[in-house]
Amino acid sequence: MAATARVAHGPALTPDGPTPAPGVSRPVKERGPWRTGLLLASPAIAVLALLFIAPLFMLVYNSFRTQAGDPTLHNYTRFLGDSFYRDVLWHTLWIGALTTLGCLVVGYPFAVYLRGRSPRARNYLSLVLLSPLLISMVTRAYGWLVLLGPKGPIADGFHAVGLDAPKMLYNDTAVVVGMVHVMLAYMVLPLMGSLDRIDPALTPAAKGLGASGWTCFWRITVPLSLPGMLAGSLIVFSLTVSSFVTPAILGGPTVKLMPYFVYTEATSNLNWPYAAAIGFVLIVVTTVLTAVYARLLRGRGGKEVFA
Amino acid sequence: MTAGTDTVGDKSAPTGTDTATRAGSTRGRLVLKGIHKALGGKEVVRGIDLTMEPGEFLTLLGPSGCGKSTTLNMVAGHLLPDSGVVEVDGRDITRLPANRRAMGMVFQSYALFPHMTVAENIAFGLRMRKVGAALRRRRAAEALELVGLDGMGERYPRQLSGGQRQRTALARALIVEPDLLLLDEPFSNLDAQLRVRLREEVAALQRRVGTTTILVTHDQDEALAVSDRIAVMAEGTIHQLDAPETVYLRPATDFVAQFVGEVNVLDGIAAGAAADGHRCRIGDSHLVTATPVGTAPGDGEAVRLYVRPEAVRVLAVPGKGRPASAATPDPASTSTRTAAEPGLPGTVEATRFLGTRVRCVVATAAGRVEATLPFGSAVPGLGEEVFCAWRPQHASLTARP
Repeated sequence: MAATARVAHGPALTPDGPTPAPGVSRPVKERGPWRTGLLLASPAIAVLALLFIAPLFMLVYNSFRTQAGDPTLHNYTRFLGDSFYRDVLWHTLWIGALTTLGCLVVGYPFAVYLRGRSPRARNYLSLVLLSPLLISMVTRAYGWLVLLGPKGPIADGFHAVGLDAPKMLYNDTAVVVGMVHVMLAYMVLPLMGSLDRIDPALTPAAKGLGASGWTCFWRITVPLSLPGMLAGSLIVFSLTVSSFVTPAILGGPTVKLMPYFVYTEATSNLNWPYAAAIGFVLIVVTTVLTAVYARLLRGRGGKEVFA
Repeated sequence: MTAGTDTVGDKSAPTGTDTATRAGSTRGRLVLKGIHKALGGKEVVRGIDLTMEPGEFLTLLGPSGCGKSTTLNMVAGHLLPDSGVVEVDGRDITRLPANRRAMGMVFQSYALFPHMTVAENIAFGLRMRKVGAALRRRRAAEALELVGLDGMGERYPRQLSGGQRQRTALARALIVEPDLLLLDEPFSNLDAQLRVRLREEVAALQRRVGTTTILVTHDQDEALAVSDRIAVMAEGTIHQLDAPETVYLRPATDFVAQFVGEVNVLDGIAAGAAADGHRCRIGDSHLVTATPVGTAPGDGEAVRLYVRPEAVRVLAVPGKGRPASAATPDPASTSTRTAAEPGLPGTVEATRFLGTRVRCVVATAAGRVEATLPFGSAVPGLGEEVFCAWRPQHASLTARP
C-alpha cells in the first residue's frame, strides 16, 4: 500500500524569500531570514555580552590570580583541598536538590490541576502562583521568620495542644521551605506549558486500551511532561544554589551556603580572587550537574518528547 | 445473497463472501436504551434508543453539537449517562469504567502516544492486558500488516504521514479484539483524496474483521459510502435510523432531507395515500411521492416535498418549440413528458456548467427547482418553457415543520 497520495502543490518558496513585486523601481535587496533574526536579537545579545559574558571572563581570569595579580592555582587548591569548603559545596547542592524536589512535589499536582481549568480560573490561579514574586525577597523571608519563629503562630499551635514546638528556624528545613515558596512559579509555569501541549485525547485513548488512571498518569502524562519538568528543575536548581538572601535570613548561622562565602570573601576579607574561584566552582558544578540531569531525563524515546 | 441474518446484509455492494464473514460475527451487539446526558447545564443527548447487530457498521451523522460524539463517549465509557442503559451482548455496562470495557476507539487527532514507537503504540492494549513481550511483538507485526504498515513498527508517530498515523490508530484499536470499534471523526484531519481512500479501506477492513463499528461524522458523503445504517442526529435525538438509500431517498424529517445531500424543497398539501405512494398537491399540479417513513400526513395537511436535483429531469414541453439542436437528445434520456410522471412546469432561469454535469435552475410556480443533468445530455436554453419531472419513488414528503 502506498504511503500517501502525493498532491501537487504550488511552487515551493525559495530560501531567499518572496520575489519582489513587479513594478518596484528600486530592486529590493534580498536578505536572508537569519539577518532579520540577528537584528531582532541584537539588543539581547549586546546586553548579555556586556553584562554577563564579559564579566564571566573577568571572573575566571581573576580566579587564577593572587590578590597581588600574579598567576596562581592557589584559589582552587585551597577550595578543593579544604574539607570545610567541600562540605559547603555539598550542602549547597543538597539544598538545591531538596528545593527542586519540593517544587516538583508541590508544583506538579498544581500544574495538572490547572490543566483542566477554564482560562479564567487559570488566570486567577496563575496570579496566586506568581504573587510571591511580587513581594521583596527580604520581606518574604522575614515573613517566614515570624511564621516559623519560637513565638510564631505555628509554635503557638503546638503549644495550644500541649506539645513542645520543634525548632523550625535556622536549619535546612526553614531554608528549603522559604526557597520552595519563592521558586514554585518557576517550576509550575514550564510544567503548564508542557502539559498543555499533550493531546487531551491521549488519556481517553489509553483508558480505552485498558490503562487505569494511575497507569495513564505514569505512562503518558509524566513522560510527556518531562520537558517541562526538566526546564523547571534546571531553573529552580540553578537559582537556588546561587541565592543569597533567603538562605542568609532563614538559615541563620548554621546554614552557610556557597553564595554566603562568595559574599564574605568579597566584602569582608576583600579576597576577590578567592571569591571569584568559589563563584566559578559553583557555576561549573551546576552546569555539569544540570547537563547530566538533562541527559538522564531524555533517555529513550526522549528525542520524540523533546522534539 | 444468503438469507439475511439481520438488517446488515443489504448494502449496495456486499459480495457473498463478506456477508458470510459478517454473519459469522456474534460479538458486539450494542443496545442503547433511553440515553440522556447534559453537559454544562445543556441537555446534549435527549433520549437515544438504538440496537446494533453484531458486525454492523453504523454511522452517527449530524452537525456539530448534535450529541453524536457525546453518545459515542458514553458507549466508550468516557462519559456517564444521566439516565439510560448501555448494553453489550446483553451485559449492562453503563457504569463500567472505560478501561474495563472492550472498546477500540480511533480519535480525530489520532491520539497516538508520541513517545512510543508505532509498534509500542499498537501493542499498548496488549501490554495493559499483561500479554508477554514475544506474543506482543508478533501480534503487533500482524496488526501492522493488516493495515498495510509492514516494517514501520520502529518509527515514531511524528515520522508518519496523516494517513499512516490514522492506520496506526486503527491497528491499535483493533489489536485488542474489541467488542466495538468506535471511530470519532477519524478522517476529518486528512486531505480530501486521502479521506476517500482511507474510508474505503476502513470499510473493507471492517467487513473483513467483522467488528461491530460506530462511526461518528458530520460528512454525509462518508456516511452514505461506508455505512450499513445511518442514524441522523440533531439536537440530541435520532431523526432517522435507516439504510443509506432510505435516508437519502425517503428522509423521515425535514431536517434529514435538508442535511443529507442537496435537495429541492417544495411546499404543498397532502392529498391522501395512493397505491404506490402518497399524493400531494402543489398549486395546480398533482404529484405522487414515495410513501413517507413514519406516520403519513393527513389529507389537507401542509407538507413538504423533497426531490434530489439528480432525480429531476428537464423535459421539453410538446409544441412549445424547443430548438432542434438542443432537442437532439442522447437515446438514454426521454426528452418529452410521459403521462405517468409527476412534475411541475416552469421556465429555465439559469444553467451552470459543472464539469461532469450541468446544473439547470427552473423557476416554477412553487419555487425554484434545481436539476442536475447527466453528462452529455441536451441543455435547454435560457427562458425556455420546460417541464420538471421525476419518478414518484424519487420524491418524498414530510409534514411541514
